[in-house]
Amino acid sequence: MLDGLKDIIRKSSIHVCLVSTGGCNGCDIEVVALLSPRYDLEQYGIYVTNNPREADVVLVTGAVTEQWRDKLERIFAKVPDPKIVVAIGNCPLSGDVFNQEGGSVYAPVSDYIPVDAEVSGCPPRPTEILAAILSAGPDAIAAKGRQKV
Amino acid sequence: MSSVIWYLYEFARKSWAEKFTAAKTDSEIMEVPSRFRDFPEVRKEYCIACGACTAACPAPMAIKLVRTSDSAHEDGITYPVINNRGCIRCGFCAEVCPTDPKTLLCGENHLIREEFTILPVDKMFVIDDYLCIRCKKCLKACSEVAGAISEVDKKMVIDQSKCIGCGECIKNCPVKGAVKGIYINNVEEQKEIINMVVDTLEARIEADQDKIKKLAPEEVYKIDYPIDDLVKKAREIIPNDELIRDSIEKITDRLKMRILTWDDEKCTNCRLCTSECPSGAITYDKEKGVQRNPDKCLKCSICYQTCPFGVAGLYVARFLLSDTSLKDGVIQITLKPSQLPIRS
Repeated sequence: MLDGLKDIIRKSSIHVCLVSTGGCNGCDIEVVALLSPRYDLEQYGIYVTNNPREADVVLVTGAVTEQWRDKLERIFAKVPDPKIVVAIGNCPLSGDVFNQEGGSVYAPVSDYIPVDAEVSGCPPRPTEILAAILSAGPDAIAAKGRQKV
Repeated sequence: MSSVIWYLYEFARKSWAEKFTAAKTDSEIMEVPSRFRDFPEVRKEYCIACGACTAACPAPMAIKLVRTSDSAHEDGITYPVINNRGCIRCGFCAEVCPTDPKTLLCGENHLIREEFTILPVDKMFVIDDYLCIRCKKCLKACSEVAGAISEVDKKMVIDQSKCIGCGECIKNCPVKGAVKGIYINNVEEQKEIINMVVDTLEARIEADQDKIKKLAPEEVYKIDYPIDDLVKKAREIIPNDELIRDSIEKITDRLKMRILTWDDEKCTNCRLCTSECPSGAITYDKEKGVQRNPDKCLKCSICYQTCPFGVAGLYVARFLLSDTSLKDGVIQITLKPSQLPIRS
């Protein structure tokens, strides 16, 4: 009974925290486009917060630069359970164009934190990001919430 | 008051309540538009394994060429594999793919094919728009070859893919140099000939320095230079008489040479020029005085403009080939004192 109630509430209210780990900012702009009235993220019950302590979903963009290697793990540790990570764009997946020989990016992100959903594209369309959050978000959070940690 | 009533009326309507409860983004916005350039689509069967896509790809891990293993009956096929986690959807791979139909499809891209003529011609004809007077005589002369010369944007243009290299246009052109016949092959040899001719002509003029120094400001100095020995040397480089004649004619038409003379007797060792010289060709030595090294000289004319005593003399040489036959052709050299003002 209580679990069912929690599930419903968790599904209908997802807080999203955007972490940009050093990329070209194209994906961040696509996320901002998602917030705009045209795509209107909040109609799905998704809210963007700047505080990782309040977040359910961490959106990671960027190719993980030297400065971000330890900080990414620290931010992930601050997110309360249940939490899921969505990697947005090609940078957190493969390093993309920054992953050249002799470059100092440390992609993929999955080396540092567990990634639940991936959106490839450079940058992905806002609708692709939305679809990834919605497909991974509510059910995964509900499922993870029931797990005894 | 009336606006409040209007709002109450508006909110009371059923359609408003329906819209309010089912507020969603238009499905049209959520759909991917047809113009969107998605990840490339690979059609394995057309691939010729040229590797152009991998060379054009800006992302390090987006495209890989793979080859399936050979079976007893057939050789394995090679085809590109797109890694969606690296691909940035730029479409360069589809643009450079040379197969027809294309192996890679990505948005609306078009292959730009370089124009070339399949005929074995050694000369390429080009119209110099700067000299062209648009008399269209070449167009009339070229009437047998459809579309080889055409007027584009009020400019006469030769279509290299249709030109058969007959040279009728150059014969009918009334302006010398408006239509240019360029030899496509033997570029290195042509360079060698040009250097050789220019060096010889310069040496010939330098030999007459003493006479040139005495020229009055408005006087013109003339030298006739027979081209036999130039032709003899050029034939050693490449034994193609037509090319040699063409090159020498083009050189004499276009060459304008600066000649710098140096009169040591006038020099007072004031050393104004030594600091001005950009290449360090002019040096000062306590015993020898101011010295000029002709090999380092760029003929930039700065020393000529600086020197208050007229030590440096600047002359401009022009050339004309009087007879185009290789046997008794003579290059007429005309030397004039430069009109450049001397700084004061």
